[in-house]
Amino acid sequence: MSAKPKIAFYEFTSCEGCQLTVVDSLQLYPELLEAVDIVRFREAMSEMGDDYAIAFIEGSCSRPSDEAPIKAIREKAALVVALGACAHLGGINTIRNRHDLGEVRRFVYGDKAEWYDTYPARPISAVIKVDAAIPGCPIDRHEFVRTVKRLLQGRAPELPDHPLCVECKLKENVCLYLRGTTCLGPIVRAGCDAICPTYGDSCEGCRGLVPNPNIEHLKEVLTEHGLSVDQTLAKMTQFLTYQVMEMEAAGHGDPQPAH
Amino acid sequence: MNPMIIPKAALDDWVRLLRSSYRVVAPRPLHGQHVFGEVGSASEFDLGYPTSVLPPKKYLFPAREDLLKFRTDAQQVEATIDGPRTVVLGVHTCDMHAMQLLDRVMATGYSDQHYLAHRNKTTLVSVECLKPCTAGSFCKSMGTLSTPEVFDLHLTDLGDAYAAEVGSDRGAALLPGLKAARPFADKDTARLNRVMSEKWPRFPLRLEFDVTELPSLLSTSYDSELWKELGERCLACAMCTNVCPTCYCFNVMDEVDLTLKSGKRLREWDSCQLDKFATVAGGHNFRTARAARQRHRFFRKGKYQTDAFGLLGCVGCGRCAEACLVHITPVDTFNELYRRQHQPAAATPQGG
Ligand code: SF4
Ligand code: SF4
Ligand code: SF4
Ligand code: SF4
Ligand code: SF4
Repeated sequence: MSAKPKIAFYEFTSCEGCQLTVVDSLQLYPELLEAVDIVRFREAMSEMGDDYAIAFIEGSCSRPSDEAPIKAIREKAALVVALGACAHLGGINTIRNRHDLGEVRRFVYGDKAEWYDTYPARPISAVIKVDAAIPGCPIDRHEFVRTVKRLLQGRAPELPDHPLCVECKLKENVCLYLRGTTCLGPIVRAGCDAICPTYGDSCEGCRGLVPNPNIEHLKEVLTEHGLSVDQTLAKMTQFLTYQVMEMEAAGHGDPQPAH
Repeated sequence: MNPMIIPKAALDDWVRLLRSSYRVVAPRPLHGQHVFGEVGSASEFDLGYPTSVLPPKKYLFPAREDLLKFRTDAQQVEATIDGPRTVVLGVHTCDMHAMQLLDRVMATGYSDQHYLAHRNKTTLVSVECLKPCTAGSFCKSMGTLSTPEVFDLHLTDLGDAYAAEVGSDRGAALLPGLKAARPFADKDTARLNRVMSEKWPRFPLRLEFDVTELPSLLSTSYDSELWKELGERCLACAMCTNVCPTCYCFNVMDEVDLTLKSGKRLREWDSCQLDKFATVAGGHNFRTARAARQRHRFFRKGKYQTDAFGLLGCVGCGRCAEACLVHITPVDTFNELYRRQHQPAAATPQGG
């Protein structure tokens, strides 16, 4: 590779935590800065170039006015990477998609509700074609670096498509179901090294669903372990709303638990 | 060599002594379960443990392991075969049977240098089970409730002491230096005989047929409807295979450094229960349905290994039964296949 590829970071509806994790990755792997040329990165620099080959987009598309800038990035960049759960899945912003948006706006913005043009939140891939995604809320530092390496090698980044339970068992964690709680691990895409179960917390699914999740039977498992219909729905809603609603629209994945 | 007696009070001295020459690993309690890990004293582990989350197989065939290092600029490749001399304390007899199978598999055909290197550096101290470990276990039905010949040292709990039977030079090498160890006396033989005869009735026979019938039962069950029923429930989480002491499938991958000039090749446990396992070059997947994958798994456990290596692929440890969130178990599966063949009219869907 001759010239160093220029990369840029953009943010839409998000907390910028994934970009902060990028800063963290750069501290962990300073060699990365020798391999690429960062031209726009609000978290770490004030200059703003707009000549770039790889664009990382953080955040979901949550307003009609987001669409034009997202499309403009696609026009310019050779490669677009969705960075983090909001960009990859719509993230927690999509929780509102199951509610009346007028009500949500009034709840959040009070008497200023009319000023905001929000609509159901969507992942970036619902607006433009994305070439790769780095899942997670926030992203995993090592996965970020792995993805950049593959892009530099000219190879398409690959996400693990097995469930979290695989990583969890390979680390020999005691399953949370045996510790009296519940977990979405069997239907969630691995890649975070099962960090939440490793620290005793259930997986909430921030990396999204595996390609063929058996949601129906996981719901039975959740019911058997004492979750009510509402609790199960809430668990499936935090990060998975967009994916689950898409499955429902396609006629799979009844949102109500099996019992 | 005659059996020896190791008083329990000397266990701590023994561990400290072993640690001067070996890494010592044993079942350590963790959140109500047990996990094999390095120990420094007798208070850190429990040889009366029920079962471990992962089998001690992980010391011979680690979940993730470097295979070689390479440089692409200099065309260099160097194998990474390394590991400490290890004593595994407290291997149950079912897991010993699993290692016997792995020993055959890994040495047959293309021999696995990494496995064999770990095996050569590992001393296995097995321990006799005196009561069933979990509700999911069925070792007595599988014939794995006594240790196979591959042990180095075999312990039986006599109350205040362990009877230690030596199975190899490697096992014998663990005892010199432990002053409290003494040869068996007549009263020890009587005690050992009593413990051994009292233990057997405590174990239920859980298969409803003789295990020697298992391979032929499977042969005639290939088209059973049961596979579809299991496939509907199965979450494809692969816990059953990842906790299994006889599973040995792995995936190989390369990781390059940021310079893109050097890197390493490593392997990681893989599972036939995962979507992509049977995907071959070109993208074709010849086992997409979870039903077909469940069938494959149980055929591996109850037939294919016997055909290929003369040993059963399931040792009845029950780990998969305890791990499976939708209650798919070998005992229920094998018994249900048997019932459907022998009383087809009365067949019921497998209970959950
Ligand atoms: S804790 Fe969660 S991720 Fe881990 S094995 Fe259990 S269900 Fe799977
Ligand atoms: S364990 Fe689940 S919630 Fe936690 S980081 Fe991983 S995918 Fe996200
Ligand atoms: S543990 Fe159970 S649910 Fe998971 S893959 Fe195995 S049989 Fe299926
Ligand atoms: S199939 Fe299940 S019971 Fe049999 S050896 Fe494997 S984990 Fe143990
Ligand atoms: S399955 Fe049997 S042999 Fe294995 S640990 Fe349990 S009781 Fe012991």
